[in-house]
Amino acid sequence: MTDVQPIQGQPAPKPQTQDQSSAPLIELRDVHKSFGSIEVLKGVSMSVRDGGVVCIIGPSGSGKSTILRCINGLITIDRGTVRVGSFAVETLKKDKELVPLRHEVAMVFQQYNLFPHRTVLQNLTMAPVQVLGEKPAVVRERALALLAKVRLTGKENAYPGELSGGQQQRVAIARALAMQPRVILFDEVTAALDPEMVSEVLNVIRDLAREGMTCVLVTHEMRFAQEVADEIFFTDKGVIVEHGPPGRLFKCPNDPRLKAFLDKVL
Amino acid sequence: MTLDFAWLFDPLYQRWLLNGIGTTILLSLFGIVLMFVIGIVGAAFLHLNVRYLQTPTTIFVELFRNTPPLVQLFFLYFMLSDIGLTLTDPATGRSIPLFTGFTCVVLSLGLYNGAIAVEIIRSGLLAVPSQTVEGARALGYTRLQTFRHVELPIGLRLCIPPMASNIVSLIKTSSQAVLVAVADVMYGATQIMLETFRNLEVMLLIWVVYLMITGLAVLIVRRIATTVRIPGYGS
Repeated sequence: MTDVQPIQGQPAPKPQTQDQSSAPLIELRDVHKSFGSIEVLKGVSMSVRDGGVVCIIGPSGSGKSTILRCINGLITIDRGTVRVGSFAVETLKKDKELVPLRHEVAMVFQQYNLFPHRTVLQNLTMAPVQVLGEKPAVVRERALALLAKVRLTGKENAYPGELSGGQQQRVAIARALAMQPRVILFDEVTAALDPEMVSEVLNVIRDLAREGMTCVLVTHEMRFAQEVADEIFFTDKGVIVEHGPPGRLFKCPNDPRLKAFLDKVL
Repeated sequence: MTLDFAWLFDPLYQRWLLNGIGTTILLSLFGIVLMFVIGIVGAAFLHLNVRYLQTPTTIFVELFRNTPPLVQLFFLYFMLSDIGLTLTDPATGRSIPLFTGFTCVVLSLGLYNGAIAVEIIRSGLLAVPSQTVEGARALGYTRLQTFRHVELPIGLRLCIPPMASNIVSLIKTSSQAVLVAVADVMYGATQIMLETFRNLEVMLLIWVVYLMITGLAVLIVRRIATTVRIPGYGS
């Protein structure tokens, strides 16, 4: 896919570590994945530029979450290539090889997936110290700043189980940010939340998107997708049926399946 | 029928009993340590699908969980020296068994209850939500790091109730020490019965002694459970 144009005049993202003025940061080509006899991905190709905000929408079981898990190597693919920055993800097999990738690509989950036996602050500092080998004092400073950013100052010593869903999800976002990633994958992060908590989480994501963080979101929040995304991918039955900027995709969808889907959810 | 506890005031019997209680507690403590080592290592082998070690671990668990602890103890105490596991005493030059009775009891307790502990800890590990594990993996934790920092700390907490039963079982099983001539509390009791013929009274006392030791163990486990409780988790 080469039709993703770098948009000029965007707030400059973090310094480029390599020449990527035109190459996308994430690129999937013809990705196939089966779970047993069920083929979940049947040749998915997509790309995301550095600093881009991309939403993947589509009906349940269409492979949205699987796409995200291919990007950070949580699941291995059967065929095709996944490239993130300089990493050829499908070639990374050993746990140790995956560490640098997971450093660059963080993930936030529907069920938060926090560590219940550690405090909020420890949830943020654990991985940078234990996985990346950073100095605890440095990580602690960063973690406190991140908690302030997601408006959870004062909850450092609380345990995840003592927080509301929206607060837990913001901790999870801060935990992802503590790894200082280039990309964050969001997997239906508001799907388990009460409606009033959805906005507090979306506000945090919106801030990140504005600051130039590369974000890939699987979401059912169509209004939010329309607002923050610069490109929308619509998946159905394991393929990307249609993609484009939200303005066009939502207003005049071409594919009948997308039309039917939008009729139902909008 | 009247109960006569006059023998209880005999200092010799008191010493036998107190030394016996001390030995029983010591046997149990060493046994519990060994049980935990075996339980955690065995559960790790099974849970992490460690090649070459998984099958031996399964065989070990089935072998020691499914045979009577007394048979295991007799095997350790009588058979191992028969098949040549002996030392030459440097002082007397006589051949002595490699393992003393005390060591054999500790080993048999550790092996028998350790085999059960493997399954108990494994059940705790399996109860750790897969999402929590996925969260760790996504942060770059290796399989082993995930086990060490996430699965084991949560899994051990989740298996405290069955583990308490296993510890109580271990303390009770330690009374087999008397059968390989280790001077535990049961041994002291047997000696007193032989001398005083006050079988009922001695047995009543031994009953209370075991109740107190196991009761204390349960209290300690409860205390630990409260200390390591995860706030807001699962309740």
